Parts: sequence; structure tokens; C-alpha cells
Amino acid sequence: MKIFVNLMVLWFLATPALAGQTLTPIPGNVMAPDFTLQDTNGKTHRLSDYRGRPVIINFWTTWCPPCREELPSMNRAWHLIEEEGIAMLAINMGEDEDTIFIFSADYPTDFPVLMDQSGEVIEQWPVKGLPTTYVIAPDGTIAYRAIGSREWDAAALLDVIRQLKEQRQESD
Amino acid sequence: MFGYLTHVCLCKRTFGVLFLLLFMPMLCAAELQRSVNEENGLEKWHFIDSDIEIELVQRLPDQTRALFMNHAFSREVIEQLALSCMFQTIIRNTGKSGAGQTVSIDLTQWRMQHAGKTSGILQKEPLLASWSDEDADAAARLVVRWGMFPTQQEYLPGDYNWGLTAYGIPPGSTFDLAVTWREGEVQRSGEIRDIVCAPDVDRLK
Repeated sequence: MKIFVNLMVLWFLATPALAGQTLTPIPGNVMAPDFTLQDTNGKTHRLSDYRGRPVIINFWTTWCPPCREELPSMNRAWHLIEEEGIAMLAINMGEDEDTIFIFSADYPTDFPVLMDQSGEVIEQWPVKGLPTTYVIAPDGTIAYRAIGSREWDAAALLDVIRQLKEQRQESD
Repeated sequence: MFGYLTHVCLCKRTFGVLFLLLFMPMLCAAELQRSVNEENGLEKWHFIDSDIEIELVQRLPDQTRALFMNHAFSREVIEQLALSCMFQTIIRNTGKSGAGQTVSIDLTQWRMQHAGKTSGILQKEPLLASWSDEDADAAARLVVRWGMFPTQQEYLPGDYNWGLTAYGIPPGSTFDLAVTWREGEVQRSGEIRDIVCAPDVDRLK
């Protein structure tokens, strides 16, 4: 009886916490659509150039409240993973450099912010709403997806992404 | 003997009470909370049932005007959108049941009741199709395309989305909303009653 009660209490405590900070695995080795986009500093990024590393790709806009909500934790996460060979690219949808520049005064980001002004890139991805974030495996397949904001510096999320890197090292 | 029976009864009773305490939330009907943001006076309807949470937050017509005036929409389209009773909407799969089920929504199945009539809610696809290039340029269309709630979407536990839903009735109107969704293979439904569209700015106290 005591074990039953303890198990139920644990289940009740754990379920909402786990539900909040999860990444959804994407089955079937779906290749991430390649893109070439400029960041706000004028540097060109091609997704396929990141092959061999896990890549976090976040689709966002300045006028989307949950996008704004998760940006600080993404920046903190970036400082944790930058030296670990994990890339992070935020793709802004539909806005120009000036809008993003003004916005960045309140929400500074140290990782590359790419501009998809025409919305052509986002249309090639299975995005339904913003923010949506994908984690790309080192082999270029989509490994995980997150719809809605997350606390990206949570160890539970980063460890899942780090494991992708370890898988790569094992296959080498 | 009596001691043993009492012990068995207490155990059964304790188990029963625990069972009810633990599983009542799942057996109970939906929960609906209505609240007011004291800072801005806007009302929120928060519907909770099984694995789904739906939040509808009033949006002032002026807030909508401000969003769309930053983009190349015609004056007429901005007013059309501003006066269409928009709500900031959040739908979430809480995963509370622990079953790891997908929650699927299809806004074309939602029904609203207003002034004695039942109808669907506004969808972004017909809106976008109704505008000429003068009404909205390509960049402006992107704001509606991505700012309004996806018409169909699936959420795994922990997923949530934010967007605008619109109901096409005047500011200050009251309506009931019948919502439907799927949890795994089970079709579910609920009702959010007495939702009030935000008033236009001239009616604010």
C-alpha cells in the first residue's frame, strides 16, 4: 500500500514537470531541408555546412510572445553548448534587419540570427506555428522537435542533444 | 477477528479515498476558470479537460490595429481584423494523464453560438484568399499566416502553441464556444460559455 501511494505521488509530481521540458523524437530518418540564409551580421549560413554536428534550429518572430519568452534561455543554453560543438541557429520569419536589431536591445542573443524575410525557408519545413524548434542530428536528419517555448538551458533538454553528439562519436 | 476486519475495511477505505483523490480530476468534467488581468483589465477564459488546456485572452481592437499597422495592410483590412473579435489563444497538451497521447485540434470543427445562431469560427485561409495585393502585400500576409492559429495541429505532451483566433462578431459581443479535439483515438468535446469580445477603445472606462 505504502509503495502504491509513493508511486502515485511520484507519478503526479513527475508528469507535469516532464511534460513541460520535453523534445519529441522524430522517427523515420527525415532529412532536414537544406537552406542558405544570411544572419544579421551579413554572414551566410548553409545548413549542410553544419553536417557532423548537432544543430538546434529555432523558428521565431519578434511579435510572438512565447518566442520572446524562450530567447533568454536559448542564449544561456548557447553559452553552455558553444564550446561543445553544438550549433544553434535562430531563423527569424518575415522581418528585416532593423526590426530585429531594435528588438535585440531588449532580448540580446549571441548565437546567429538568420533572416527568412520571404518565408520561403519556413514553408519547406513542417512548421505549423511559432515558435517551433528542431534538433538536427549530425547526419542531417531531424532528430527532435519542440512546439512552443522551452527552458533551453534545462539539463534535461541539453543532455538529450549532447547524446546526439555522442552517437556520432560512437559511429566514427 | 474484528480487528482484522476493521484493518481490511480501513485499507479498502483508504485505497478508495486515495483512488478518488488521484483519479477524480480525470473523471471529473472540464474545469473552466475566468479571470481578469488586473494590470490591463483584459479577461481570460482557461479551459482544462483531460490532457488539453485552452486559454483565450481578450485582445483589444487597438492591439490588433497596432500589430497589423506595422505591416503593409490596407486600412480596410486592418479595421476588418481589428473588429473581428480576436483572442490570443494558447492550446497545450499537458500530458497530465501520463498516457503520452497526441492531442489533435481542427478549428474548422469548432462551433460558436452568438445571437441565436451557430456558426464556425473565422479561418485564416479564406481571409488570406479574399485579399487583393493592394489589401495585403506578401510580407503582410506572412503575419496573418503565422500570427493566426494553425487550423489543424497535433501536439505531443509538453507541446503548446500560441496564436490569434477570430470570431467575426462586433467588439463587446458575448458568445459560447463548443470546442472539440482528439486525444489519441478518442474524440472529445467541451464548451466555453459566455466569452466576451474585448470592447473597442471608445467603450473603455
